[in-house]
Amino acid sequence: MTKAGDWKSYKRVLLPPVKDLHHLDVYQEQGGYQALRAVLSDWKPEDVTAEVKLSGLRGRGGAGFPTGLKWSFMPPVKPDVPRYLCCNADESEPGTFKDRQLMEYNPHLLFEGILIAGYAMSLKACYLYVRGEFASWITLLQNELSKAYDAKLVGDNILGTDHSMDIIIHKGAGAYICGEETSLMESLEGKRAYPRIKPPFPAQSGIWGYPTTINNVETLACAPIIINRGGDWFAGVGAKKHPGPVLYGISGHVNRPGVYEYPTGMLITDLLEIAGGMRDNKKLKALVPGGASVPVLRADMIDGVTMDVESLQEAGSMMGTAGMLFLDEDTDMVAFLRRVARFYHHESCGQCTPCREGTGWMENLITRIDDGEGNLRDLDLLLDLCDQMEGRTVCALADAAAWPVRNTIKRFRGDFERRCRPAAWAVNA
Amino acid sequence: MPKVIIDGEEYAFEGRPSLLQFCLDHGIELPHFCYHPSMSVPANCRQCLVDVGAPVRDRETGEFQLDENGEKVIRYFPKLQTSCSHVISDGQVVHTARSSKKVERAQCDTMEFLLINHPLDCPICDQAGHCPLQIQAYKYGPEGSRFEFQKVHKPKKVKLGPNVILDAERCINCTRCVRFTDEISRSRQLTIIERGVKNYPITPPGVSFDEPYSMNVIDLCPVGALTSADFRFQARIWEMASAPSITTTNAKGSNCFLWVRDNLVMRITPRPNPDVNEFWLPDEDRLTYRRFNEDRPCGPAALNKSGPCSWDEAIRETAEILSNAGKETLFLASAHATVEDNWMLMQLAEVVGGQVAGYIPHIEPGHGDGWLRTDDRAPNSQGCERLGLQPVDMKLWGARLEAGEVQVLYVLEDDPVAAGLCSTQALDNVEVILHYHSTTNQTLPSANVALPAATVAETVGTFVNEAGRAQCVVPAKVIKGVNRTLMMQMGLSRADQHGTPFDRWHNESHYVDCKPSWEIIPLVARALGVEIAAQSPKKVMQHISVSIPAFTGATYKAMGLSGVMLPPIEIEVAS
Repeated sequence: MTKAGDWKSYKRVLLPPVKDLHHLDVYQEQGGYQALRAVLSDWKPEDVTAEVKLSGLRGRGGAGFPTGLKWSFMPPVKPDVPRYLCCNADESEPGTFKDRQLMEYNPHLLFEGILIAGYAMSLKACYLYVRGEFASWITLLQNELSKAYDAKLVGDNILGTDHSMDIIIHKGAGAYICGEETSLMESLEGKRAYPRIKPPFPAQSGIWGYPTTINNVETLACAPIIINRGGDWFAGVGAKKHPGPVLYGISGHVNRPGVYEYPTGMLITDLLEIAGGMRDNKKLKALVPGGASVPVLRADMIDGVTMDVESLQEAGSMMGTAGMLFLDEDTDMVAFLRRVARFYHHESCGQCTPCREGTGWMENLITRIDDGEGNLRDLDLLLDLCDQMEGRTVCALADAAAWPVRNTIKRFRGDFERRCRPAAWAVNA
Repeated sequence: MPKVIIDGEEYAFEGRPSLLQFCLDHGIELPHFCYHPSMSVPANCRQCLVDVGAPVRDRETGEFQLDENGEKVIRYFPKLQTSCSHVISDGQVVHTARSSKKVERAQCDTMEFLLINHPLDCPICDQAGHCPLQIQAYKYGPEGSRFEFQKVHKPKKVKLGPNVILDAERCINCTRCVRFTDEISRSRQLTIIERGVKNYPITPPGVSFDEPYSMNVIDLCPVGALTSADFRFQARIWEMASAPSITTTNAKGSNCFLWVRDNLVMRITPRPNPDVNEFWLPDEDRLTYRRFNEDRPCGPAALNKSGPCSWDEAIRETAEILSNAGKETLFLASAHATVEDNWMLMQLAEVVGGQVAGYIPHIEPGHGDGWLRTDDRAPNSQGCERLGLQPVDMKLWGARLEAGEVQVLYVLEDDPVAAGLCSTQALDNVEVILHYHSTTNQTLPSANVALPAATVAETVGTFVNEAGRAQCVVPAKVIKGVNRTLMMQMGLSRADQHGTPFDRWHNESHYVDCKPSWEIIPLVARALGVEIAAQSPKKVMQHISVSIPAFTGATYKAMGLSGVMLPPIEIEVAS
């Protein structure tokens, strides 16, 4: 028995197998917006937050911060001070594609979650910041949102109560950095998406300088489930310290890549089996368990490792967004890293010196190694650059760029050394 | 009072100062590029990293935890902090590069990053010599570079506006210029474009960087990325001497430096003065540097000597005209001249018995912007007012001049024809004695005696700005004649920068044959047989500060480099 419990009989709740669930009437037939009705009629806002705290829900956007705690950071309501919720749908981490599924197949769950969170924090407006490249999903979301407005589920006096809340869909203009919460806010305000210095944190000074809470799509979509089934139920699903259903985005050299909903704490090997095993019966070489920025794991490091914060940390990686990338034995790790480094070089916003200059330098070095012109000392220089970038910038992009480089070199050093030119003299002659 | 320990030394502080500003105020050097005291803190250069910690308190007792040696246990922030964005709190312990290898390494690392894509073209860069990047690279940077790739290429010569040219490759993306246009001048004419390592500041499409304060970004730029269209490639820093002065294009009296090479003013840059112009200077003030070099007179001239003559002859001729005319002489004071010069003129008027009509007002309505530009285009109207002089009644005196009721007109450093007081024809029958700065002076052709006067760059004297702040200037360049007072006021090593008559490189033609008005007027008085007692501007100001209540306290010593506020007076608004 794993931490995930009896996962074979797990019934999906985030993406239940219902045809046309994205239509408002289908969603309501399936019991949709019941949680909202219940909350608006019987719950006090602080009780909602308490229930979310009880559920143990952790943010699904990558950092895994406890959601109930985050909601409770909002300062007390002041009549003249607006406060905002922001839903981060700028999903752009390589290997991550779960929020897109939610927005496509169950948008009303997201809206319901937003409305519940808005009620819990007594706020009147939510910005739904969707990645610009998701053009067709934005149209779909907007259509469904209009229907919800028409059905009095969103807007003024929701379902005839005193509570009013607007949801504004904002289309991003296409930069990875806009997924960072503070630069998302800058972008939302119409400014250049440079991350802000923290403190002050968004709960004190967020959008337009007002108290703001920012959550991931999947995190907010969990709120109606917690209300419907109770925090206890949610806390009982999956790994104890990181409970709840999770959308695993499985990609790479597997037979059936896709988004799979299961409890947290699934054995990585089980998930590989669910995804149909490795393509062409090849052997697994490496796994990136949570989106491109988390440290890569070697095949021999995943035995008994489960998909939750604790276990992955022990194994030397992170949960991230649960976007799992399986790489088979034929993978060229140098080329893999070159591509990852290229991504971060291209997406560095250029605000802080170490990230702006370091990401490009890293890509240069890895490209040289990949082209067979690298030197052994370049590997040490790369590790040095990781030291010089990590923890020295405003946001975590420099860290996100340095971790894969550091860990891929550390864990696949042989692959890199073979591609380098031999040292000018034998080291231990 | 709360205390902070920096590198083992304890400092008391008040309020919530930023760590970087606190260190700079207390003489602790911290390398930095993006921080500027008057603008927001982006903490993007990451150069000012320091290690910050705080003593740990026991949760229950509230006492400080002590280690086995009895020292307080310090818990440090997990990451190095940017000192510019870090607000000090009581008891914190700070380690700069002087006491922490970790910080030293971090600052060196950031410097290495900053330099990998910087062109390192210091030998041809305007900024070299006073470039923060260059200076700090020597002090805090690595010895060499491990970067073995082609540097990023960006636009090399972008004309952002009429006065500013960008070399994007030199840019280190500190965003000072962008923040200046966002927060200080509020023109919002600059923004960063591109992303990552290709970033550089530029104007939005179709916009020219033509705001009246655009050139401030040149001084703000910590590298040579933003250069002056005028000064670009004209002089190296170490070839020039800078003299503290004030600008005279308007009544604000902004503090500035005049940069001089071979006795030519090469450029004007702001001199910080929190009470006047802070760190800024409008473009119009900077672009006037040419008037100190170009169209300058070469010695005095007298009509009945049929042109150029010696100073002795010119003075004698002046005295003759004045003694003949006596009470019929009309004196015009000037808002372009110093307080001392105007005072001297009043003394001379007394000696001759003539009348001082006042000064010609130079008001240009709508020119002021409530900041560093004023409607008044002359620097010393307030000084004239405080001496008891009024703006000339242009209609009255214009009519009298046109009617030929004035025999002799004595003009101090001004241009009645250009100012519209009278026509050139009206002056045909008037004997005009003119102190002038530039050969473009339109009254010059009508002058019977033309006396070249020293400009603000060559003289010693006092100006009073519109707010009533008296500020004195010292000479930045030398005049042809010998004047001990002027020489004493110049910096000791300054002769090197001007050249002496014995240097082969110095250019004789850059020495203007003029005299300060406060030297000319006593000479005229002497030729009339009267000695004006106080002859040096310093003594004049000493005398004025005691005898005229509106100038109380305005001695040279009190004014120093930043000026002194004079007691308020009631001023009639110049019409």
